[in-house]
Amino acid sequence: MRYDVTTGPIDAHELEAVVTHPGAGAICTFSGIVRDNSRGQSVTHLDYEAYAEMAVPQMRKIGDEIKQRWPAARVAMAHRTGKLEIGEVSVVVSVSCPHRHEAFEACRWGIDRLKESVPIWKKEHAADGTYWIEGDEAKPATG
Amino acid sequence: MAVAIAVRVRFFARLREQSGTEIEALQVPPGATLEDVYDVLRRKHPALEGERKAVRGAINQELSDWSAVVADGDEVAFIPPVSGGH
Repeated sequence: MRYDVTTGPIDAHELEAVVTHPGAGAICTFSGIVRDNSRGQSVTHLDYEAYAEMAVPQMRKIGDEIKQRWPAARVAMAHRTGKLEIGEVSVVVSVSCPHRHEAFEACRWGIDRLKESVPIWKKEHAADGTYWIEGDEAKPATG
Repeated sequence: MAVAIAVRVRFFARLREQSGTEIEALQVPPGATLEDVYDVLRRKHPALEGERKAVRGAINQELSDWSAVVADGDEVAFIPPVSGGH
């Protein structure tokens, strides 16, 4: 198990190495990538900000919940903070299981929970201004 | 009986920009709730979000109800909803 909030680049293969073991026949890895557009506007770059002291325990809690639902699962998660350029990896969730079906399910469940409950915020620098993304809302940044 | 308790307040993301600060020390009366703490902060930083549904409070890194009572030495954080995404 590994749970990181980091300012440096995330290597998905490193997380896969954490979850791999001889009984794991399937590893499902989700990578979130910085996209060049949002809300119909072009995006130049993003800033991610975390409450790290709360985010890492919350990621660990999600990992524990995955292991309750899929007891054979092993989990690793990392989220990047700071300035990210288009095409860079912002978040990775890697889950190993004996078989692919539960690996896909557990990985999807993990990234969905991470996105809705881990205190990390995204600031979009777009053609029409700079916005904090809060759920389905984009709110103008002032800083 | 203490006349005031000291908490450490942290702001994040949009609330950090609105308050103009990341961290501040605050004294509040014993028995103060998260809501009381936020009210004091709103008076100090009028630009802080007024819509309560757009703010969550956490005490010592745990999301807490607005009615939760803070204690001396607590770390109190006010945070916006997280990014979400599809």
